[in-house]
Amino acid sequence: MSVINYEFRNEVLKHNASLAYCYQCSTCSGGCPVALITEGKYNPRKIIELSILGLKDKLIVQQEPNPWLCSTCQKCVELCPQKVELTEIFTLIKNRCFESGKVPEAFILQGQAVLEYGIAIPYSKSIESRREKLGLPNIKTAPIDELQTLLKETEFEKNIKRGGE
Amino acid sequence: MAYDLFLGCVIPARLPYLEASSRKIFEKLGIELRDVEGFSCCPDPTGIELLDHKTWLALGARNLSLCNNNGGVISFCSGCVETLKGINHFINKDIAVKKEINRYLQKIGKVYEGKTKVKHFAEVLYENLDKVRENVVKPLTDFKVAVHYGCHYLRPSEIINWDDPFEPTTIDEIIKAIGAISLEYDMKIECCGNPVEKSDKELSLLMIGNKLKSISDVGANCVAVVCPACYQQYEFNQRELNKRNSTDYDLPIFYLSELIALAFGYKPEEIGLNFHRIKANKLFESVNFSV
Repeated sequence: MSVINYEFRNEVLKHNASLAYCYQCSTCSGGCPVALITEGKYNPRKIIELSILGLKDKLIVQQEPNPWLCSTCQKCVELCPQKVELTEIFTLIKNRCFESGKVPEAFILQGQAVLEYGIAIPYSKSIESRREKLGLPNIKTAPIDELQTLLKETEFEKNIKRGGE
Repeated sequence: MAYDLFLGCVIPARLPYLEASSRKIFEKLGIELRDVEGFSCCPDPTGIELLDHKTWLALGARNLSLCNNNGGVISFCSGCVETLKGINHFINKDIAVKKEINRYLQKIGKVYEGKTKVKHFAEVLYENLDKVRENVVKPLTDFKVAVHYGCHYLRPSEIINWDDPFEPTTIDEIIKAIGAISLEYDMKIECCGNPVEKSDKELSLLMIGNKLKSISDVGANCVAVVCPACYQQYEFNQRELNKRNSTDYDLPIFYLSELIALAFGYKPEEIGLNFHRIKANKLFESVNFSV
């Protein structure tokens, strides 16, 4: 059984008041490329409906529909006749999933790389030599201690270290 | 005009040949790109932002705080551009967000006011279309190009604030300016599917499979992209799709900068075209393009 969580509903509304404008017309799902190929199993309208109803467990624990399937193509945002900022709301939901450790491993791996190197893809020896052959300059990336100070402050470090599923 | 150059992660650390052609064409056009020390990941609008929005804002604002060129900052990557434009959007929209992010930045002795202009490299090329045209020495005659705009070059239009989000024209215009043909196809503005790969590889393959079919159906002989995620999605999955579905996709995938560099007379080896998995030799022969 799904339990209404008013606190969560209010949190989403406070974060993005445009949620309240949704009248469930489903234009978002009609234009969604992932809804199309999953035959509606992934469904942006449904995620908005669950947010309005405050069904936090369904969104974050059971993940039905799975918010991580959004391709971030931003068509829904452009198409919405009520100017609901769907992807901003989806980002908040995914951020809450991350805090609960309900996140696909590939995202954690990217986060770990940024935490360790400051960039998502560290430079390998072979790439460095390829860069040299192509006449490209050496790249001086961010001082890692400075970044780690920042990532500690935002609690990103703590959440990444706890990991995903 | 000079711009700061934001390289990001994927192009310099995995696909440096795309950087080579991009730098070369800007040099040829006389547009100075200045390397800046100390950038981090932009961070990824299809990765880090989805994990933690405030971390995304803080790292992105830190990157922008390092830019000080009057032309602003440009990137060869649509993801980086979306992030950097997005940072400005959120910081300038809400004073509370600006304050919160600057509280984080203060800890590392930095400050960001939200004033750095951000552009995609294709925006700058479009703004210099006459110059691009003047530098063409080898028009790409008979190159039938399927332009893949990619999502983050266009949308959300409130943040990107550039081309039409559903009927874009800028890259088609650039393709025409270098003597090639830009073909219309059904799925032109659809997503390549790359961001879905992190959560569901099968869905991601279905998405790129549908795009490739739509592109092949209209008889395109190559694809032009302006985003390294889209590039990888098209270039690295054709073989896998052929194995699964008995298709025979063999479409060269060009970065917009590579097509321009070829039209400007650069040799394929000068711009690292040999590093592509899908070779362009057959295309060059079929359209009598001497390299």
